[in-house]
Amino acid sequence: MSSEITTGPGHTQPDVERLHVAGLHAPSDAVLSVRDLSVRFSTENGVVHAVRGVDFDLLPGKTLGIVGESGSGKSVTSLAIMGLLPSTAEVSGSVMLKGRELLGLSDKAMCEYRGNELAMVFQDPLSSLTPVYTVGAQIVEALTIHNPTMSRQAKEARAVELLAMVGIPSPRERLKAFPHEFSGGMRQRVMIAIAIANNPRVLIADEPTTALDVTIQAQVLEVLHTAQEETGAAVVMITHDLGVVAGVADDIMVMYAGKPVETGAVDDIYYNPRMPYTMGLLGAVPRVDVAEKSSLVPIEGMPPNLIRTPTGCSFAPRCPLVSDACLAGEPALAPVPGSALHRAACIKSGSLGGDVDVHDVFAAPPVPVSRFDAVPREKRSTVLQLKDVRKHFPLTRGALLKRRIGTVKAVDGLSFDIREGECFSIVGESGSGKTTTLLEIMEFHKDQDGEVLIGGISNKQATDSRTKSAMRRELQMVFQDPTGALDPRFTVYEVLAEPLQNAGMDRQAIKKRILELMKLVGLQPDHVNRFPNQFSGGQRQRIGIARALAVNPKLVVLDEPVSALDVSVQAGVINLLDRLRAELGLSYLLVAHDLSVVRHISNRVAVMYLGKIVEIGEVDRVFDNPRHPYTRALLSAIPVPDPQLERTRERIILQGDLPSPLDAPKGCNFATRCPVFAALPPVKQEKCLTLEPPLEPVAPSAPAQALAAHPLPAPDQRFACFFPDGEMDEDMLVVHEQADHHAP
Amino acid sequence: MLRYLAKRGITYIFMIFLTTSAGYFLAVSSLKPALLEQERIPRPTPEQVANSMRLKGLDPDLSPWERYVEWLTAIVTRWDWGRSPNGAYINAEFGDRVWISTRLFLASIILTLVIGVALGVYSAARQYKFQDRAITSYSYLAYIVPAPIAYFLVQLGAISINETVGERIFFVTGISTPGIQPGWAQFVDMLAHYAVPTVAITLVGWGSYQIAQRQYLLDNVNADFVRTARAKGLTRNQAISRHALRVSFIPVAQSIAFTIPAIFAGGFFAEKIFAWPGVGSWSIDAISLQDVNAATATLAYGSVIFALGAILADFATTLVDPRVRVQ
Repeated sequence: MSSEITTGPGHTQPDVERLHVAGLHAPSDAVLSVRDLSVRFSTENGVVHAVRGVDFDLLPGKTLGIVGESGSGKSVTSLAIMGLLPSTAEVSGSVMLKGRELLGLSDKAMCEYRGNELAMVFQDPLSSLTPVYTVGAQIVEALTIHNPTMSRQAKEARAVELLAMVGIPSPRERLKAFPHEFSGGMRQRVMIAIAIANNPRVLIADEPTTALDVTIQAQVLEVLHTAQEETGAAVVMITHDLGVVAGVADDIMVMYAGKPVETGAVDDIYYNPRMPYTMGLLGAVPRVDVAEKSSLVPIEGMPPNLIRTPTGCSFAPRCPLVSDACLAGEPALAPVPGSALHRAACIKSGSLGGDVDVHDVFAAPPVPVSRFDAVPREKRSTVLQLKDVRKHFPLTRGALLKRRIGTVKAVDGLSFDIREGECFSIVGESGSGKTTTLLEIMEFHKDQDGEVLIGGISNKQATDSRTKSAMRRELQMVFQDPTGALDPRFTVYEVLAEPLQNAGMDRQAIKKRILELMKLVGLQPDHVNRFPNQFSGGQRQRIGIARALAVNPKLVVLDEPVSALDVSVQAGVINLLDRLRAELGLSYLLVAHDLSVVRHISNRVAVMYLGKIVEIGEVDRVFDNPRHPYTRALLSAIPVPDPQLERTRERIILQGDLPSPLDAPKGCNFATRCPVFAALPPVKQEKCLTLEPPLEPVAPSAPAQALAAHPLPAPDQRFACFFPDGEMDEDMLVVHEQADHHAP
Repeated sequence: MLRYLAKRGITYIFMIFLTTSAGYFLAVSSLKPALLEQERIPRPTPEQVANSMRLKGLDPDLSPWERYVEWLTAIVTRWDWGRSPNGAYINAEFGDRVWISTRLFLASIILTLVIGVALGVYSAARQYKFQDRAITSYSYLAYIVPAPIAYFLVQLGAISINETVGERIFFVTGISTPGIQPGWAQFVDMLAHYAVPTVAITLVGWGSYQIAQRQYLLDNVNADFVRTARAKGLTRNQAISRHALRVSFIPVAQSIAFTIPAIFAGGFFAEKIFAWPGVGSWSIDAISLQDVNAATATLAYGSVIFALGAILADFATTLVDPRVRVQ
């Protein structure tokens, strides 16, 4: 066990005495000790008690993961440590950095520590760098502040060194570049370079990868890992994603309603959670590496409003195990029987160990079965078919006379079909053409390049508005941002009535249908007269789904339907989508960047890269036996909420970002980033660069073929790569041998 | 950069040509100086009027198109903008007027900008404190009070100072005292004439810059990049002045460039009240005197100043914002 997390004593002692005691008990080698940290904000509605007593000790070189839903006080805790909260915030408790108290220091005195011994990386790399200064100037500034005597050459040399360390190619030239010339992932690397410029002892990373693509997330996590190794800093990693911290953290602190509710070593938390909230969080995350399907665990309700101090356990209103004793007072963080360092704030933590199944605790719904599941795919009718759909955008230059300087092939020759009762997903990085594909389907115009067939109606026949409106009844859409997709001035009734009125239903029928829809998506029918802002994010997404289902479509297009939601809420929406598909016999076309969600809900999946499908097939086949190197890289980039697996598994870290479609090579689009290509002999590389690999089916394995009496049908998996079995380039493979760290 | 400026310059020259031509047609078809001549005593015969107009190149019998061609040819070949009905040459008058306007407004524009932006930053840094409330309230007041009234108030103030002291320190109207000795005495006389209009225009003008600069800076004070700068070890005030200020100045720089022409061409009230006969008052007079050529010339001047302002705005933006690329 690497570091120790201690509990603050009871709340009855006076502050001074409590801090004194805490100081005596704190391990002397802790680089950062936080005791009874508490933050209050005065708002118009009253005092919000955002952080209520956080204690932890951070040892040098170790990583503490702070996990929780939005509003749990994770970020406020980190900003309080940095002294970056607005002056209206009341902060109390103690934050000791190498034995020196930081709380209560003036802004000026804090500047000694900020950026020097204490550094921070923020969530949104796009807005965190000053747009009007070069990247070099911003790194040099961090050096100048704390090393006023350093020479200009030395600072510049150090800046180059830092940029090289975080993996920015040709760092000397890039010093003069401005932030807008960098992609999001690159900017986050620059942020890390700035943070580690002065070899900090403590590095706080607040959701450092939430805004990034999975492949870029893997790169940035790798950079953070390198940075920690180079500087020996202790890291506080704040995240809502249990997968991200599983591989990197030594200890975990789970926060809920401003308080730590469970703390302990990473293995204790993941394999032996003792607080129902932690159990729920773990059960709510779909797994990309598990084929067996079980329903996700939704945590009903919302986090409490922190204006009122909870009288009982703050999680009690959402807890399935709640009893009267839980309401009698807020439980303190107490050691879990059998492990002194594992603490949980639950009066029932003793009975939750061992083999208690989270699905039983939270009463997860049974896996829904669709009437189509028993019918072979070939015998079901096709609801959507795309034949060689293309969307090319001309790239022009010049103000008056436009010169065509190239073509962006946003979608390039896409063909697939979706059968009844099936969920088909498209995955890929941002810029791979997923959204353009959806837009092309929704466009449904006869002048499109390629044919779109929706419920047997072809876009080539879609000349009149009647054909189009018939098509719209077959296909409906659910959008990513549930808040933006609902008119704030429409009541739920009006939102749901609009498509029905368009379909020409009479008032009585509309009223009946709306009540039916509300029940269908799990909302209370008497809430129809409320406005969207009176609902939570998850409920709003349910309204969006109800709106899409109003006209009884056969196919629902889901554009990142859960990416804006917290994990616990996300689980509920995913379960709902799963149930609706089974009950109503719907088909889904799902676009998502979260491969775990895709694996959980889909039957078939297509992986897109630069406008082309590189691999397509049955979801279990593609995910368990990926053939295309890009699919393999994508899958390996997804963090899994399983610490032991995360520590030992081999990761493929793709180099760089998605290239500009202009630079796409003539042959295989992926060649520029391909880990297999990099290791191929030049003769074979030539083939990748000049010939475009066709989408070909996977051959049935030879032993299976030999055993079968008849020739086996080709399995449902096709991919576009010449050398699927090629060796991967060593440089792009990373294994963290963290097992050593944990050796006694 | 130069190529870009040249390209923009050509576009604007074309636009100036269009607006000026359109303005000329409007003026020539609605302004009839011959009618004014007939109010003279003794009343001239129509032949006499037409004759005198023809001599000045203002022949009322020609069609608007013929007069336009004649007028344009004179400008293109001889840079001759024609004559007024009273016989004055536009070119000569124009130079005097522009010089007077420039002298009247130049100092106050610079003061307005500097004071407005500085007060904007000052009040943003002290948001909702007493200083901020006082300054911002004043700016809104200056916004609301009509300019002529504010100018009169400043004049009254200057007069009361003169009366209190018992000596004429400030001149509230006019450009200079005729027949003054050159040298020190002339310099003091100039200051005495300059002080009142400059103070008046500045006091009225800075409000809008103060409000804009304060607003844009406040938008950026809590930006993520300011937080990053603080996380590097800058104090809040250092982070704001080094990082937020420049970003907040981008929209202000643009608006500055566009308001300069408005001040130059629209300074009618100031010119009238302080009796500085500049371009603004000339343009109004030209219309009341049915002076086709003078009205068109002031219009052309306004377009040129506006184009300069627009180019200046582009230039200022590229200067402060590296994201804007020039090509």
